[in-house]
Amino acid sequence: MKKNYGPVYVAPLTGWLVVFFAIPISIIVYYSFLKKGFNGGVMHEFSLDAFRALYNPTIFKIAFNTFWIACASTAVMVALAIPASYFMARSRHKNLYMLLVIVPFWTNFLIRVYAWMAILGNNGILNSTLISMGLMHEHIQFLYNTNAVILVTVYTYLPFAILPLYSTIEKFDFSLVEAARDLGATKFTATVRVLLPNIRGGITTAVLFTFIPAFGNYAVPQIIGGSDSYMLGNVIARELTVTRNWPLASSISMALTALTTLGVLLFMRLNRSSMESARESATSAPVKTPQSGTGATA
Amino acid sequence: MRKSIRTICTVAITAIALSTILGCGQSKPKLFIYNWTYYIPEEVIKDFQKRYGVKVVYDMYASNEEMYAKLKVSGGKYDLVFPSGDHVSIMINEGMLEEIDKSRLTNFANLDTAVLPLIKFDPGLKYSVPYAMGTAGVSVSKKNFPEYKKSWHILEDPALKGRITMLDDMREVLGAALKTLGYSVNSTDTTELMQAKALVMEWKKSVVKFDSEAFGKGFAAGEFWVVQGYAENVFSELDENAAKDAEFFIPEEGGPMYMDNMVILKGAKNIDLAYQFINYIHEPEVYAKIMDFFMLPSINVPARAHMKVTPHYQIDDMLKNSEFKEDLGGYLELYNNIWQEIRVGK
Repeated sequence: MKKNYGPVYVAPLTGWLVVFFAIPISIIVYYSFLKKGFNGGVMHEFSLDAFRALYNPTIFKIAFNTFWIACASTAVMVALAIPASYFMARSRHKNLYMLLVIVPFWTNFLIRVYAWMAILGNNGILNSTLISMGLMHEHIQFLYNTNAVILVTVYTYLPFAILPLYSTIEKFDFSLVEAARDLGATKFTATVRVLLPNIRGGITTAVLFTFIPAFGNYAVPQIIGGSDSYMLGNVIARELTVTRNWPLASSISMALTALTTLGVLLFMRLNRSSMESARESATSAPVKTPQSGTGATA
Repeated sequence: MRKSIRTICTVAITAIALSTILGCGQSKPKLFIYNWTYYIPEEVIKDFQKRYGVKVVYDMYASNEEMYAKLKVSGGKYDLVFPSGDHVSIMINEGMLEEIDKSRLTNFANLDTAVLPLIKFDPGLKYSVPYAMGTAGVSVSKKNFPEYKKSWHILEDPALKGRITMLDDMREVLGAALKTLGYSVNSTDTTELMQAKALVMEWKKSVVKFDSEAFGKGFAAGEFWVVQGYAENVFSELDENAAKDAEFFIPEEGGPMYMDNMVILKGAKNIDLAYQFINYIHEPEVYAKIMDFFMLPSINVPARAHMKVTPHYQIDDMLKNSEFKEDLGGYLELYNNIWQEIRVGK
């Protein structure tokens, strides 16, 4: 009789998730339903105060701001990552480019953020180059605003968009594009109607991998942001430390997690239904392409 | 084969080295200190270890909140901690502190008697011994902005738009505004606070960033011309020449002052050593060395004669109009709401 070793194999992973995911999340959920301690900490008494405090125009405004920054960053990242990964996947030097994408991770994240300050500062490299080239006389305020936050967020998480897209595009059968071109499609049409639908899985992963960390951003708005760039992550940190309201910090964290989960589920759902309809139209089409086959098994 | 012999040798040597280090540590009494990052020059601690034949285990925190949370959660094994005034009163209320027997501190008499009565966070200093005091003021780049009045109103100057930073700290920013309007930095009056909020919103038009970490670097780089903050954070980034082009002042209206204090935690294991350390810090020569290092004013009167460096400001400059920050208790919420509204720009 064959013994099932499955649970044994996944035990380390299960243990990891329980210790570093399930338990902390449970603590956050538990804390969010408690009364706040007078000097920080919590009192073990049931209360909905922390959730009532969420219903506050300031928090809504910050949440909206956060959502907007995360969406904009994600859109830019995916838009940049698709051509980049396409180029990488078609190149003869794939591994070299792959290495170049990963190299920045060897340097600490904060150091890279500070490097951006050196580039974008009023007396930074970019401003002084532009001024010395005579293109302008006065410096431009690049730093300390929402655009700077988006730029640095894009820079930070771009590899997370490139990696899944690259692996999908690399597996893509380019003879399909050739076939489309043979049948009279322009390059643009072939890309939009053949390539993009086939790498949809990669795009989904790229969106999820970048949107989630961008939504929970904390350090970038703190360092690069201006007097208005304030995101939910910063509010949570403040409630936990300066304001000593742990239940509120927990309830905002929960709201953040819930919003992210909801967004992810919705996105995956939309994606799946449009993928199914695409598959249906493909199978019902007179010429059967191998696309439907690969789509179904993937 | 040769490789494995080498490995065994390395392991053996490491083991021996480790056991010597650990063995050494065990024979000496240890004092566990939990203090702000870079808040005592290393030399001062080394001298203490040498003089008394003890070992100091020194851990650091970046904010009162971090320290408080850590002590609250894990208890910790620390003997001596350096909280600011507002956190001293919280820790007293929470019963976290050991009462201090001043008869054991011969150097307590060195402290400035003009300052001690102003301390309300621990009336009569039953639980804490002052370590250092100071205030956040304004640093100006004279090269870029030579003409100004030493007032908080400098923040309203339209010529400075985009060149100003203020601390990312509601107590400091609202405190400055409250003082400018002639109120207390510890005001809990809603009307006063609303006026202060309106003033901060006025300042915010020129403020490019609320920042407590990197403003010194930005000032040094010429990015910011007028920054609210602690002098040491700015001047530690400047070389000698650059320091000549910069000036630190305490605005005439005054502002919030801080006092950082030495406290002994309840249940500390090395109380005698902690007393020894507190007393050692307030020896005039030792204290002068510390204040020289940070260019802070000395609250230790005899130490002033030993100082070799002129601090950025004197105790008297602060006592004129400034006020110690006290814990806000339940009003923290009110301050926080106002601060969040300021930050999201409403």
